[in-house]
Amino acid sequence: MTAATPGKAVRNPFCTRHVHPGRMPALDAAGREIDLSRVLARLSEINGSAAIVGPHGSGKTTLLGRLADVLEAEGSCAARVRIGRIGDALAVLAALVRGRRGSVVCVDSWERLGPIWAHAIRWCAFVSRTRLLVTAHGVGALPTLWECRPTPAVLRALVARLPCGDTVMPPILEADVQRAFRDASGDIREALFLLYDTFEARARSVREAIV
Amino acid sequence: MTAYEGVNGTARPAMPRVSVQFDRAGRVYPPEHGLVARYDVEGVHPESVRALERSVLWYTEGKGEEDLFVHHFERLDNEPLPGGDFPSGTVTVRLPASPLSYEGVIVKIRWCVRIRLFFASGRDFVSEHVFDLGDIAPAQGIVERLT
Amino acid sequence: MRLPRFFGKKRGHRRTGSQAWGSFGEAVFYAALVMAGVCFAALWMTGSLGVGSDETGLPWARWWLWLSSLLIPGALLTFGVAGLVRIVRGWGKSEERRAAAEGLATLIESMAQSADAGWRFPGVPNCEDLVNSPGTILRYRLPIESPESWTLVGLGLFAVLWNAVLVVLAVGAGIDLLGGRVEWVLLAVIVPFLAVGVAGVVLFVRRLFLTTAVGTTQLEISAHPLLPGKRYDVLLAQGGSGTFKSLALVLEVEETASFRQGTDTRTERVVIWRELVKEWADLQITPGIRFETHVTITIPEGAMHSFASEHNAVRWRVVVAGRPDRWPAFTRVFPLVVFPAPGPLQSGAPTPATTGGVRL
Repeated sequence: MTAATPGKAVRNPFCTRHVHPGRMPALDAAGREIDLSRVLARLSEINGSAAIVGPHGSGKTTLLGRLADVLEAEGSCAARVRIGRIGDALAVLAALVRGRRGSVVCVDSWERLGPIWAHAIRWCAFVSRTRLLVTAHGVGALPTLWECRPTPAVLRALVARLPCGDTVMPPILEADVQRAFRDASGDIREALFLLYDTFEARARSVREAIV
Repeated sequence: MTAYEGVNGTARPAMPRVSVQFDRAGRVYPPEHGLVARYDVEGVHPESVRALERSVLWYTEGKGEEDLFVHHFERLDNEPLPGGDFPSGTVTVRLPASPLSYEGVIVKIRWCVRIRLFFASGRDFVSEHVFDLGDIAPAQGIVERLT
Repeated sequence: MRLPRFFGKKRGHRRTGSQAWGSFGEAVFYAALVMAGVCFAALWMTGSLGVGSDETGLPWARWWLWLSSLLIPGALLTFGVAGLVRIVRGWGKSEERRAAAEGLATLIESMAQSADAGWRFPGVPNCEDLVNSPGTILRYRLPIESPESWTLVGLGLFAVLWNAVLVVLAVGAGIDLLGGRVEWVLLAVIVPFLAVGVAGVVLFVRRLFLTTAVGTTQLEISAHPLLPGKRYDVLLAQGGSGTFKSLALVLEVEETASFRQGTDTRTERVVIWRELVKEWADLQITPGIRFETHVTITIPEGAMHSFASEHNAVRWRVVVAGRPDRWPAFTRVFPLVVFPAPGPLQSGAPTPATTGGVRL
């Protein structure tokens, strides 16, 4: 191990602090920020429950979070629930029962509920006149509100928005972005983790050269 | 310096500036040593600040979820804020023995002084100033990925 | 009385449904399993299931159906009770902490201390569990991170219990056949039971041979916890028999970071420093006589101490890696705890003011 040197911190822009779903913007396939008002207008047109669909790491949770923020500001969001355990289904049911007519319960990871709970919750939403806005990997029984499609343009746009940190550190090149997208098979989240490693390795080389 | 700047004829709140001066060279502190940090807030109307929080904390950074622990916390919300604490004041604290600041590969530990201003408008502003607890050598890189 | 909060806010914009509701819902589910097991047991005991009974209405005639039927309520009750116990133990704890406690890293994770009053080193795991076993020669015997003995015991128990049921079924089928009765359903049930039973025995025997042939590995150390810049005596004792193509003792540091990734928790583990302390080649071990040797390990000056928080960790460990002749290679991990080095730095002049990054 080498001796410690002042200024040894490497502020990696791809750390979870910056790339956590709650911190990232919701982007469309072209890398532009999604017009949330248009999406919510479509949700009103559907006038019922709907799903945000897309493969792993395509931005579904991010978009759901952003929409929930707007709905909360309007007073229309009854709850946000991430399905992780069996008991979370009860949390969704409780939210539907407590929610005002027309309010929205945002559910992340809808498929984890399984068909029985999913049917029960949808029935409960119907009876209580509340709505569900969920994320799912594929098209199912709920109409599709938005399909998240991961593309290199999305990854490029996200990278461009990250804090640039120490300007001495080498930048992330377009080739790095393309390679990360390819190696992660289109999983944006995984690609960001790969870029973390790329940046970290490069930054260490630069720092050692300086020392 | 006024609290508002006109941009293209419209007035908008100016960004406050908080500077912090640490009492040790290179901002490197030994474990269980005292830290004295003087802060200065500029660019805000004193009347617009409803409360001030000053804290000393560590957080993790890297590829894992961020963990955070507040070692020292003070909130000042007397209106008006005492002259000795705003716009300039001092954070004085005895630092613990651990965890030491660490520059790992996928796990990093950072210590900082945070100054948070709360405005009458409901907005808040945070300024973070990193220092080192201990003098640990950075990790050199990944030898092997286990998972 | 304070009802569980329905809506829990975490940091910033991250929110989930109330953990209390989640745990309550799980408890309801497992309680339902217990009730189902009890009801099923009651129903077949009273013959209401029509499993097969004699003129008294009790399910005695088809004894093998009786035995098989016992498994269903038994399984329901077992899963239900186990689930309820798990929920009670995990009430109030985060999902990541529960997941970590159920995994092989229980030993280290359970030692992680917050800055409780009286604990001098916040964020550093305390090493009580590592120093409660005295060594025979050196001061402490280090526990192994994932004891193979537990795997062996588990496999053995499973093989014994499963094959006990299988033997009873097989004997009964044999008696029926001798009596001129062919129970086709029973024979159909026995076939998959037999396959699983044989597989269980094979796995157990294989693991047993591996453990006895390769032998146990024990590590003793002269002091614990460890400090940067210090040297420590280590006693390595390796049992088994035959030739080891190589046996190596390695000191390494691992970083672990957990991240909630969509529906799963993603954990990444990397080794960021490794030192080969000693390696032996073509080692001959005589059955009944352990190979014992003393080595010295040194924690480098300025090294990072052990650290554990809810989602991140820095762990020190000794790894013993062996490649026996004619047997698969093995790796045995012995966790260590390194404390921060004592002593202050040199004092210095005040630093120029910094204007740090801002965030709204």
